[in-house]
Amino acid sequence: MSKLGQVVESVEKYNQFVLDQVKRARTDQKFGRDLLGRWNDIKAKIPVTRAPTGLALPRLALPEIDEPGEIARFLFGEGLPGEFPFLNGAYREMYLEPIREVESFEKNGETKKSKTDKKIPQAEEPTRLFSGLMLAEDTNERFHYLTRHQRTHRLSTAFDGPTLYGIDSDADGVFGKIGEGGVAIDTVEDMIRLYDGFDLGSAIFSASMTISGPAPIIMAMYIAAAKRRFGPSVVPKLRGTIQADIFKEVQAQNETIFPIEPSLRFLTDMVEFTTREMPRWYPISISGYHIGEAGSTPVQQAAYTLSNGFAYAEMFAARGIPVDQFGPRLSFFLDCGLDVEYIALARVSRRIWAIGMREVFGAGAKAQLYKLHTQTSGRSLIAAEFKNNLTRTAAELMLAYMNATNSCHSNSADEPFTTPSEEWIRLAAHGQAILLEESGIFKHTMNMLSGSPGMKAVERAVEAAILDEFREIERLGGVLAAVEDRYQRSQIQNASHRYEQQINDGVRPIIGLNRYRDGSDDIPEVKLARTPRKKQQSQVERLAKFKKKNAEKAKCALNKLATVVESGKNCFPELLEAVEVCSLGQITGRLQEVVGRFRPMV
Amino acid sequence: MASPIRILTAVPICDGHDSAINTINLEFIRHGIEVVYLGYHRSVGDIVRAAIQEDVRAIGISSYNGGHVEFFAEVVDLLRKKGAADIKVFGGGGGTITHEDAAAMRRKGVDEIFFAGTSLEEMVKFAHQRYGKPRWKRARAKTSDIELARKLTEIEDGYAEIKGKTSKTRPGMSKSSTRVIGFTGPGGAGKTTLIDELVLRFLNKDRQSRVAILSHDPSVIGEGALLGDRATMINSQNDRVFMRSMATRGQAGGLSPATHDCLALLARSGFDYVIIETVGTGQEAMPFQKNGIVDQTVLVMNPDYGSRLQLQKIVMLDLADMVVVNKSDLQRARTAHTEIEQRLDQNRRAQRLIDTVAKRHRDPGVDRLFDLISSNRKSKRGTGRKKS
Repeated sequence: MSKLGQVVESVEKYNQFVLDQVKRARTDQKFGRDLLGRWNDIKAKIPVTRAPTGLALPRLALPEIDEPGEIARFLFGEGLPGEFPFLNGAYREMYLEPIREVESFEKNGETKKSKTDKKIPQAEEPTRLFSGLMLAEDTNERFHYLTRHQRTHRLSTAFDGPTLYGIDSDADGVFGKIGEGGVAIDTVEDMIRLYDGFDLGSAIFSASMTISGPAPIIMAMYIAAAKRRFGPSVVPKLRGTIQADIFKEVQAQNETIFPIEPSLRFLTDMVEFTTREMPRWYPISISGYHIGEAGSTPVQQAAYTLSNGFAYAEMFAARGIPVDQFGPRLSFFLDCGLDVEYIALARVSRRIWAIGMREVFGAGAKAQLYKLHTQTSGRSLIAAEFKNNLTRTAAELMLAYMNATNSCHSNSADEPFTTPSEEWIRLAAHGQAILLEESGIFKHTMNMLSGSPGMKAVERAVEAAILDEFREIERLGGVLAAVEDRYQRSQIQNASHRYEQQINDGVRPIIGLNRYRDGSDDIPEVKLARTPRKKQQSQVERLAKFKKKNAEKAKCALNKLATVVESGKNCFPELLEAVEVCSLGQITGRLQEVVGRFRPMV
Repeated sequence: MASPIRILTAVPICDGHDSAINTINLEFIRHGIEVVYLGYHRSVGDIVRAAIQEDVRAIGISSYNGGHVEFFAEVVDLLRKKGAADIKVFGGGGGTITHEDAAAMRRKGVDEIFFAGTSLEEMVKFAHQRYGKPRWKRARAKTSDIELARKLTEIEDGYAEIKGKTSKTRPGMSKSSTRVIGFTGPGGAGKTTLIDELVLRFLNKDRQSRVAILSHDPSVIGEGALLGDRATMINSQNDRVFMRSMATRGQAGGLSPATHDCLALLARSGFDYVIIETVGTGQEAMPFQKNGIVDQTVLVMNPDYGSRLQLQKIVMLDLADMVVVNKSDLQRARTAHTEIEQRLDQNRRAQRLIDTVAKRHRDPGVDRLFDLISSNRKSKRGTGRKKS
């Protein structure tokens, strides 16, 4: 049995354990009394918060239960926010407004006020806006624009097509693609321009890079760029995330450049390095987003993301990296659309992950957390009457935060057309601010919307369906075997086809497209952010200069890299050297000579 | 009955958005179109080369990653430059292609751009109306590849028009120094990957040699087909490789009614190697005629063939010159090797059994197979077609 099979068993066993605890709470009087005591304790410690209207509310809402069996079901089955199995949240307070004054109910029920002596750290803003366009300096300007009102600088970087495929801007036939849909990065010099003006070693800065196929090379470029600007001592301080999710690329997004096994090996090489040298870095973002965007059902998205995660955990453990070292450095990324499953998809995922990591991998508390970034669904946005996309995104944001996502990106309404323009980006960002800051839905009370009968019903149904998917993958020999068998791919493609068919047949209503369409908005007046030819040309020219300048050194570095790759040793240190003098495409090309190219699956 | 419309579909370079094109492919196939699918992340050169070799009526491009105005224009330009302007171009990209872009693209010679919200029905209707009628008199072929591609089309069309037509070509025609190698075996055994890996070795060994591939996918008479082998081939996207995909158009046994004539034509067209790949075949299949054009036959097996008894029923095990157990990294591969070896011993012929892992880069098993094929210049029939 692979680890995934063991995960299925561990969840089943845990569910049985919860039932046993419920039964025991009802039959074992002492156990029941203790639980009740603990429950009352928890309730007594909940601070009171005040809405601007003066209404007093608890900072944590709990189900109104006083029967030991039900208490057991809640505490063991769901857990408080920040407690195993984390159904209600990875952390205790998530996006609650910080409180300056703590009120609590004394035993006599009177409210007593006291100034907090501890300085409560201001919560980090969960808003992340994915951005990348044209050349490095253009994206840099956008980053400065986006963060000008933010306490923290959390940059999320989109790369252009050639970069995502590990190709240089001067490669044949890619000219028109330079800087389209993301930023063009060819060299370490571009990487320096990209984050210019930001303090990469600072605690308020983090960089997220959405790239997988060539991720180890781009990671090496980032480190090299940071070292050039701040010296070698900056390396352990670097914070951020690089996507580096190979499985989902093969399953859905098609941006794989090496065959699967060497791709996984390069990834593990990088993870081994970063978990040791860069303890604040997330070297992988296990992503369901692209699986969802490629057309999977929500359950498929959650199931493949989780099972991919467990497969990575198995791989890293096999390399000898301790689970409590890599576990806390794993992060997740889900899509959030409008299907009903999204009411609880992330909640259920968080619970399964925690149980699997604890029971199967022996992970400690920090390594059990399913730390989640959510993005609203791009697939749900359409060109026809595109302003409706604002409403779609708003509803999705609501669902994402109901799932207690750790961070979130809201899509711009103009996304079906192009790289989002500033006007619509601003509206998207403000959508989050309105929900989190202006509205009282998420800032006063944790569990504000958790635990409704409907939500619970969805949780149960989704969990069962995810476990079924795990069993199927296990039957196929585990994640890698299933991937090579194209299992996930064909499932996703089927689902995608069904989805399109449903839209076509009108079974799936899309407002403004197959329902209530008036067609007046069919020619949208959206200002497109296209990369001018002159900029594309200048990227090609400066790449040529870089290559000319480093021609001799590049040859040596590539030879050395190839030798280490052949030897099977961790090649990340050689990558770090190579990026100093080689372009992305030069490195990709040389690695492909050694390990081969990815053979597409269709 | 007229031949089905043949259309090539692809996603541009640096673009992996294949969700829309997959849906459209299925819809085209359902409506009688033969779709040669080239896959995603494909360069202008790859697309145009494939379109010319496959002699399709049109190229459908699905682009979601920007740069479409340039990309489509480059495809149209290259088609013109290569003398293949009668291959038309259409496509779409959801909302990423604006009406202004589309106007610019049409000006540059693109037939049609579909916008977000276009129904699948409309696209199918468009394809039938615009590309359904036979091509009028075509200009003289500018290159030998175009000429060859058109002749293959004529042969195929000829068989479509006259039902039950039999091959005119006599077996055993002279065919210079070309070696013809037939690959067959059950679906999913990895024939296409294996061929693509062999092609890489052919190309590397001799910097001049040219290879032709005739590949087959199943279809029913009068209906569409997905011809998808090209999409998984990475080494065969090369000017030195001429590949043609054929649908079986209702013929059982793994080949098309037109295969024999097409193969005969390829065999006398100056290639060093002609590779023919059947569809995934059943146990009873014996697709290559004895004393036919094929010099060597390779049966590619998957280790998961079932029980040992099943081996007795596989006719090709008697006929093949070489038997390959691909995916020999699978657990069952050793058992498979032993059982097949015993089965071949019964035949008392010098059949070769080779284990490969075709998906692996530089697989030594594939190297061995390549050595056998490329060094074995003597035909099994001893006619000795040594290259001189």
